[in-house]
Amino acid sequence: MTAPMTGLAGLCADVRNELIEEAMGRGMIPLGYTCSMVPRALLAVGTLFPVRMRAPGVAGTECADVYLSSVICSYSRSLLEFALDGRYDFLGGWVFVACCDHLRRLCDNLEYNAKPDFSHTLDIPHRGGPAALEWTVEELRRLARAIERHFDVDMGDDAVRAAMVAEGELVDALRELGALRKKPQPPFSGTDYHRVLMAAQSAPPARALELVREFREAMGDASDTAPYRARFLLVGGSLDDPAYTAVIESQGGLVVADRYCTGSYPWLDPVDAGGDPFVALARQVLDGNRCPRMMEGFAQRVNYIVDLAREYAADGVIIQSIKFCDTWGVEASALVTALREAGVPVLRLEREYRQSGEGQLRTRVQAFIESMGK
Amino acid sequence: MKKKFFAGCDIGSTTGKAVIIDENGVVASSIVPREVDPEETAHLALAEAFKAIPDVNTHSDLAYLVGTGYGRSEIPFANENVSEISCHAMGAYYCDPAIKTIVDIGGQDVKGIAVNGDGSVKDFAMNDKCAAGTGRFFEAMARIFRMELSEFSDLSLASKRAIPVTAQCSVFAETEVISLLAQKNPPADIAAGVQGAVAKRCFTLLKRVGVHPTVTITGGCAKNRGLVRELERVLRVEMASLSVDPQIIGALGAAVYAKKKARG
Repeated sequence: MTAPMTGLAGLCADVRNELIEEAMGRGMIPLGYTCSMVPRALLAVGTLFPVRMRAPGVAGTECADVYLSSVICSYSRSLLEFALDGRYDFLGGWVFVACCDHLRRLCDNLEYNAKPDFSHTLDIPHRGGPAALEWTVEELRRLARAIERHFDVDMGDDAVRAAMVAEGELVDALRELGALRKKPQPPFSGTDYHRVLMAAQSAPPARALELVREFREAMGDASDTAPYRARFLLVGGSLDDPAYTAVIESQGGLVVADRYCTGSYPWLDPVDAGGDPFVALARQVLDGNRCPRMMEGFAQRVNYIVDLAREYAADGVIIQSIKFCDTWGVEASALVTALREAGVPVLRLEREYRQSGEGQLRTRVQAFIESMGK
Repeated sequence: MKKKFFAGCDIGSTTGKAVIIDENGVVASSIVPREVDPEETAHLALAEAFKAIPDVNTHSDLAYLVGTGYGRSEIPFANENVSEISCHAMGAYYCDPAIKTIVDIGGQDVKGIAVNGDGSVKDFAMNDKCAAGTGRFFEAMARIFRMELSEFSDLSLASKRAIPVTAQCSVFAETEVISLLAQKNPPADIAAGVQGAVAKRCFTLLKRVGVHPTVTITGGCAKNRGLVRELERVLRVEMASLSVDPQIIGALGAAVYAKKKARG
């Protein structure tokens, strides 16, 4: 592993990594969020910065299981386990979206067991349209008012716009970096890119931008990824452990594109910071995410995946989701059928939040590659 | 010209299997208990098979060797490895080209495999990490009944009325069976319940890949006659018998791949 890679792996291994420590040392306040529908720019105003909530290295969920049943996804249970263990005490607060019942139960139990100083839940509609846009704009303004009151930071339009510009620079850099994976022999692996993405979601945007640029410079124009047998597009819900991507790549796969909640999509779409910033962010939340929690847009979601696979010359699609995830469980079943009808080879995988069953994952991926004749 | 031999070595969770073929078919095979080290298991399985071929004494006498099974990547002297899913498909196809669907029940997992017309994998589904319904599950059940595995496998054939048992969890199933035995229920009926529960788990798995005749069963549990009967009942299809021991189908498929790959 090269020096930048070692550093990135370290940043991914700890929920309170050195970038967070460094920012907190400068008086900055980390705000946790659990869903891509939370506009990161609203959590990056003034001295605040957003941190995607993870539970890296969670060994078990014994304490959380007392409060959350075994049919609640292991991501929610792992976060509660860490919260009960005081691992998130460094956070200034949490921002949730009522995106699924599992995370709502996590939110309830945090209130009950480990109440954060600041906690806010965004109520985002499950449909688009003018009324939904109006509602979402007001929801985002409600969050801004709550942040302003609690943290005493200016959440006016100009301050939010400035945060959107800073966030925009970061996502532009990540998008450009990710586009290098279109090359027949990309300069870095999917695991490397996954690590960059996770590190970037655990630091103030300006610091994350430096990190992305450092990585890009270190990679140069080399084409030194290991030989691969098949290129993959990785799809699904939350996936914050680059070790999962590493297992896929250990079998001769190369993850060249992704569409999962913690991956490069959906938050890397550019957002126009001109005009009313809350309207722009609301549009991004409603239209840009193309999340399966939305009641409409399945065909567009399928088309997006098919187009992405073609753009990045992916040989196949791997859909992964955490067991008991209702949102992705339902979507994945329909996706498998739709993608196969579109002529795209698909492998559907269910997993636990914590990496386990590595041998079985290796066998599945290898067999998938072999079934494609690669 | 010296005769060429191609080998497949399947390192499973409970046994190691080796199959050696030449241009005309299977010339040797072996099944050995698993050692802690997969490499050692591979050495032992191959050494056992070599006994049947005077010209072959070590793996370097082979034209090509393919490893498969959970320990496939731990056989450093293999030319390459192929997943056990592809190998079971190819092995079954080699025995009977009409095979379209396979249920492979090994020591630690269950797989449903849909096979293409050329022996490649069309689709597959695997159980998750739980051991319920696998070879280990049956070993545990045989211990509870204080029987040899082969004896337990035949026990359900004498059942008059199966007693339903859950196979969702090995631990719960064991507890349930112990209670049923303690209540003096007929062992054959309890055993039929166990076999039926496993067959239903296989049903769920196979429905994900589609059940298209001809259907067969591979892996060590294919020797479990009670299970095969229950599978035929639940799936409403006849399980095709294969021309070789169903436990070595993975190794056979690996040997077939070895032959193909040696030709380039």
